[in-house]
Amino acid sequence: MKTWMWRATLAGVVACALGSAGACTNKAEQQAAGQRDTTSLGASADLKTLMAARGLSEADVEAALKTYTPTGKKDEYLIFASGGHSGQILVIGVPSMRQLKTIGVFTPEPWQGYGYGDESNKVLAAGSQGTHSLGWGDVHHPNLSETNGDYDGQFIFVNDKANGRVAVVDLADFMTKQIVANPLVGSDHGGAFVTPNTDYVVETSQYPTPLGREYAPLSDYKDKYRGLAMFWKFDRKKGRIVPEQSWGVELPPYSQDLADAGKKVSDGWVFINSFNTEMATGGTLQGKPAIESGASQNDMDYLHIIDWRKGEQLVNAGKATTMKGIRVLPLQTAAAEGVLTFVGEPKSPHGCDVTPDGAGIVVGGKLDTHGTVYDFAKIKDLIANKKFEGKDAFGVPVLAFKDSIRGQVELGLGPLHTVFDDKGNAYTSLFLESKVAKWSLADLKTLEKLSVHYNIGHILAAEGDTVSPDGKYVVAMNKMSIDRFTPVGPLYPQNFQLVDISGDKMRMIYDLPIGDGEPHYAQMIKADKLHPEKIYPPGTNPYLGGHDPNAVEGGKERITRNGDTVDVYMTAVRSHFVPDQIEVNEGDTVNLHITSTEQAEDQTHGFTIDMYNINLSLEPGKTENVTFKADMPGVYPFYCTEFCSALHLEMTGYMLVKPKGK
Amino acid sequence: MQATGAPGVPRADTHKHLRAFADAEGGAGGTSWGYGRRWGVVALSLAAIGTDVGSLFLDWWKLTLYAPQYPHGLRLTMSLRGMGGDVREIDMLNHYIGMGHLAHAASFEREHAVAGVGVLALMVLALTLLAGRKAGKFIVIPGLAFPTIFLADAYYWMRSFGHNLDPHAPLHIPAFTPQLFGNGQIGQFMTFAVPAAGFWLATSGVLFLAAAVVVRWRVCRECPRAKDCGRLCRAALVGPRLPPKETSR
Repeated sequence: MKTWMWRATLAGVVACALGSAGACTNKAEQQAAGQRDTTSLGASADLKTLMAARGLSEADVEAALKTYTPTGKKDEYLIFASGGHSGQILVIGVPSMRQLKTIGVFTPEPWQGYGYGDESNKVLAAGSQGTHSLGWGDVHHPNLSETNGDYDGQFIFVNDKANGRVAVVDLADFMTKQIVANPLVGSDHGGAFVTPNTDYVVETSQYPTPLGREYAPLSDYKDKYRGLAMFWKFDRKKGRIVPEQSWGVELPPYSQDLADAGKKVSDGWVFINSFNTEMATGGTLQGKPAIESGASQNDMDYLHIIDWRKGEQLVNAGKATTMKGIRVLPLQTAAAEGVLTFVGEPKSPHGCDVTPDGAGIVVGGKLDTHGTVYDFAKIKDLIANKKFEGKDAFGVPVLAFKDSIRGQVELGLGPLHTVFDDKGNAYTSLFLESKVAKWSLADLKTLEKLSVHYNIGHILAAEGDTVSPDGKYVVAMNKMSIDRFTPVGPLYPQNFQLVDISGDKMRMIYDLPIGDGEPHYAQMIKADKLHPEKIYPPGTNPYLGGHDPNAVEGGKERITRNGDTVDVYMTAVRSHFVPDQIEVNEGDTVNLHITSTEQAEDQTHGFTIDMYNINLSLEPGKTENVTFKADMPGVYPFYCTEFCSALHLEMTGYMLVKPKGK
Repeated sequence: MQATGAPGVPRADTHKHLRAFADAEGGAGGTSWGYGRRWGVVALSLAAIGTDVGSLFLDWWKLTLYAPQYPHGLRLTMSLRGMGGDVREIDMLNHYIGMGHLAHAASFEREHAVAGVGVLALMVLALTLLAGRKAGKFIVIPGLAFPTIFLADAYYWMRSFGHNLDPHAPLHIPAFTPQLFGNGQIGQFMTFAVPAAGFWLATSGVLFLAAAVVVRWRVCRECPRAKDCGRLCRAALVGPRLPPKETSR
């Protein structure tokens, strides 16, 4: 009798199983989901013919195979490159070398609406200290945030050498969130380098000036002009630099150059190279030698060694002088307390790169043929035992060069910057020779040189300045391209050359022209370390770091008037603006608050009004505010500036500015 | 029948009324009349109720749309309590043809789904345990109707949405009824509509109920009170196994 029951139950279970199987075995659906084109090579794939027709060698084909990235495939690494004069950061995929984005940093960036809305204007305006609004930056050294000396993919910092500024870019949305202008110095070069846990973003000045941007004649150069090593405190939670918690170390008026933070065994230290310890100030019109000559008389300049943990203690203990809101540890205190120590570095030094284990510091010499490897253990020992060779003109203790180094490696002409791989090799750019030198860190021997085109400046490698470099790729960042590309006028593109370093021999596999500016440094991070947002949660103002109080949702749009101030709470969604008619009077102050109520990936709208220099980018969920005075009577169409949909051209409306007295 | 008590020892008869009932009817089913089947009916009914309640937590219907610019597809799911998936985006697309917001569809049904399933469960229980033979046949009806009601309602709303398009919409298309099941094509979209787990679960509930009816039918046929079966079942469907009498017949 129970069999009935069992049969019935079984029937139910079977029906269930069949049902769920039926639900997920729809063949047509599977085909639609996998609509990828899998067309095979076909008859045209006669490689030899193709190679002959395009004049390609087997090495070329190999390079193509290593870099060609078919549609839909993604890059393994991302380069964050200085955009040089463009004032921006360039994002480039590796190995494809396709440029993925330009991040607006110091220069307004119209596509992103950066510098055309209230909040992004505030970010940019914070970087202008003087009476002139700065519309560009000389972007030099982007540095990714680190955790335990390794890139964590959260933030990137970059300095503007021309105006002494540092910017913070949040990699959650690849947007610039903050620009801090250094109130004490002008140009900066040794930036923006981070300490191993991103406690500080280090910025060091380049061309000495009186601190605080005061006036002093050049005859007072030695007495009144100074350099500065700035330690900008970074609050990771807020994603912002906190100037009130930041501090600096006063430096002699040498030209401090590149810097790097110690890591692992050298954690707690910062190293800065310098030139012009001669303190030449030129005077070419008066018949004096140019600075280039005056600054190149000494055989040695000084590598600056800063014990920043000790400096931090002293500043917190009140040993600093506050200048323009920044606490500065005076030069005498820094020298006397062992915060600042010097050691000689050969002719016209450049590059200052700490080895992955933190035990060595590699410095090149533009007019020297060596790379010098300093031994941090020796340096630390000498400082601890106060074994100084002497003091400089400002009382800063100087270590003996020969006692401080592990050795020198004969590299070639004009060694500049050094990066590292995962096999104990270092790669140094040779500016004058236009070559990359690969050398062994262990025995300080040059292993191989590769010609690059031309005048290589910086060099970068896959995670090549972290505690754990990946190897695989090096990029030569060449200052000149001369004959590499189709001519495009007298201003030539720069040339990024991708080098495969996975084998025994280095192989050049790609040339990428950069037509945006002259890049300086760049870093390459494993792409899977980045987790950017695909859309914003509805009503997000990326500059405010959260929900915008002026954001509205669909159905709650309105126009309110308070005296001669008009607030327009607007939404944008395919393919209309609500409201699409705005009537104001001449002289009204208009606040537009526009929210994209889209939540679909890559569904961006834009917004512009004729004549008023308003241009916003409205990514899904984003809210932008823009304030302007309706001071020109007339009829102004506004429209969506991103081709958002089939009815994009219809995504428009009118702002009517009624003339006074009508 | 085998006696289990020690012979000659009188025992308190804890099932006096059942025994009296069985005796009065001549004991057609013996002392353990219909025990397994009686409980079988209860178990199958409870299983049916379980599937119906369980289906509240599952999607009943799934629509997937593919278009070139949606390489990962768009999904719309329908459960008894609401709609899920890319509702916002589908609403956005629908506005081009003047279709209403999905949030306005079947709002009464969705709000009362939990209460509805509760009533259904009570009806099944009442019919299983309390109804007499005639009414007992109908225990399958609410459960059977359940998935059908859903389909009919879903169809009604789809038809209603497809036939009440805003005449001022940018795209004018003739009134239509979106496909409830199967593959279709709307503009650049390929659509795939299938019933989902909740629907299948509720359908299995129908089978459980059908089985309960069959088993109950056999129970009732053997019921000692079959002859004077009334509106209410007096045969104590959830009764215990009767212990044997002290003396065998």
